[in-house]
Amino acid sequence: MNIVVAMKQIPDLQQIRIRNRQPLFDDVPLTLGTIDKNALEAAVVLKEADESIKVTVLSAGNEEVEDTIKEALAAGADEAFLILDDALEGADSAAIAAVLAAAIKQMDGVDLILFGEGSGDNYSGQVGSRVAELLNLPQVGYVSSMEIKGGQAVVTRTLEDCDEVMEIALPGIISVMAGLNEPRIPSVTQILKAGKKPKEVLELDEVDVDIKKLAFTETISNLAPESNRKKIVVKSVDELLQGLRSENLIGR
Amino acid sequence: MDFSLSKEQQLIQRAAQEYAEKFIEPISQQIDEENQVPDEILKGLGELDMFGIPYDDEYGGAGAGYASYVLAMEQIGKASSGVAMIISAHTLGLGAINAFGTEEQKKKYMTKGCKGEHIVSFAFTEPGTGSDPKQITTTAVREGDYFILNGTKRFISNAGFPGPVVVFARETENGKISAFIVEKFCEGYSVSEPWKKGGMHGGPLLDIYLKDVKVPAENMLAPSGMGYQVLQFGISFGKVGVCSTALGGVLAAMEESFKYAREKTHRDAPIAKFQAVQLKLAQIAELYEACKWMTYRLGWLADRVKDPVQFAKDAALTKDYVCQQLVEITSLAVSVHGSYGLMRDYKVERLWRDSIVGLQIEGVSDMQKMIVAGVMLGSK
Repeated sequence: MNIVVAMKQIPDLQQIRIRNRQPLFDDVPLTLGTIDKNALEAAVVLKEADESIKVTVLSAGNEEVEDTIKEALAAGADEAFLILDDALEGADSAAIAAVLAAAIKQMDGVDLILFGEGSGDNYSGQVGSRVAELLNLPQVGYVSSMEIKGGQAVVTRTLEDCDEVMEIALPGIISVMAGLNEPRIPSVTQILKAGKKPKEVLELDEVDVDIKKLAFTETISNLAPESNRKKIVVKSVDELLQGLRSENLIGR
Repeated sequence: MDFSLSKEQQLIQRAAQEYAEKFIEPISQQIDEENQVPDEILKGLGELDMFGIPYDDEYGGAGAGYASYVLAMEQIGKASSGVAMIISAHTLGLGAINAFGTEEQKKKYMTKGCKGEHIVSFAFTEPGTGSDPKQITTTAVREGDYFILNGTKRFISNAGFPGPVVVFARETENGKISAFIVEKFCEGYSVSEPWKKGGMHGGPLLDIYLKDVKVPAENMLAPSGMGYQVLQFGISFGKVGVCSTALGGVLAAMEESFKYAREKTHRDAPIAKFQAVQLKLAQIAELYEACKWMTYRLGWLADRVKDPVQFAKDAALTKDYVCQQLVEITSLAVSVHGSYGLMRDYKVERLWRDSIVGLQIEGVSDMQKMIVAGVMLGSK
């Protein structure tokens, strides 16, 4: 069984500083999407229970992804499939979905494609669904638990007011939620072996997609929200509780 | 000159940081109060290969070198100096076996050590030695294919954990100091209760009592009479761990000080607005930078030692400088906190207590200076 885990390179969010409401990315180390790591962990857990499973990590982005992807290889992926091109810098969800779908078509016998529910930086949560549409595959989102049973996946989809248990035929696409598992910390040995694992690196013109036809969304501004402290002085706990209730922050 | 970290080094640093933040930091006060590190923490660190970072995979190590070891130890030391002390002292003993051991000795004694299944010790100090090897009174009497060891070793890290210990003893046959690999808890091996030391709680120091301990002759580490060389060279590598642990304390003190200065308010403004506080914060930041690069460089040097004497000098001056600055920086960190810095509710109180230990272990401060001056004057 071949599982593909799609992962996005993002800046390490803990190390981004904000100046004049603009994020500063200089010298910020690159990592992989937080929920993408849950998706990878889910795949590696399945692989540990069934040795015939192969886990391939798939990513599209600039040249730096080749180094960043070592993190996924250290955390248990068997190999990487990468589409690297500086033209993908700043590509939006539609463009990335088209590139990933084209790449998946070029991979042999993919049974299951896993995504994190949203990326760690923009959290648009679109790519998994778009890829499913492009490849005409079934898809389930908001998955909080999953298992493979007799050629299909049985998953729990967690919605605001209920949990749904669903079966999804394979090949199919599953987008997982952060609470699915606790991604492992890779050992030093695994980290050092990561760079030696197989990697297939393609350029954009080697996959069947015309990036020029994909209209990139233009980001006009990306600002941190202004925080306006109300500076309300309270004289008692009762007054504090009353204030919080009136702001609808407690007792909803 | 390139000061950047490789992707692998970044990942090793982050793995140690993540483990330390998730599992060690939440119980660091408990470790301090109980003077004991829970077994599951050591097991977890073992599973991440943190007990064998520098050594070849042939002997069970990760093969990442001392440069990566420094990065990981800084993060572990930041959460708990006691936990870092266990790994540091373990690496001192394991490093001596790695540097001087025969192929058989390395295969036999390093593999479990690198996996953290054994925690290694290094036993030089005695009640009457201090830093003077000439005063060693532990004896090794040759009896056929064995040596019989008798004596007391003082302040020995990790002496209560199973695994090998490198013991220094005087051979009665020739009066020379030699090193031996002894399996802890063999017949005739016993230990005291851990000493109740001032800081770095959790990093256990015990006395070892050797009573007619029978050691196979093939367990002699390095040729007969080479004990002093094993001590000097081995302890130089050990100082890489001491420096990294101290650097972790420096980093913790810096982070705590900046955090507190931003959060604590006076007259409706964070105390970070006050110039007097800013001067302290800036001084801490300057000293952290100096300590960091000296320690990182020492790790880098440890991976490419050409002249053991020069390395001994570099290790001595780095250890002395970083450990001195740790005392200075934690004092500054306490003063940023004011009276709150004296309270156990605040991490800087522990960092300040821990800071004094580094200067006194693996060679006191004055001895480091004597090594530096001796090597630079050409008398060593």
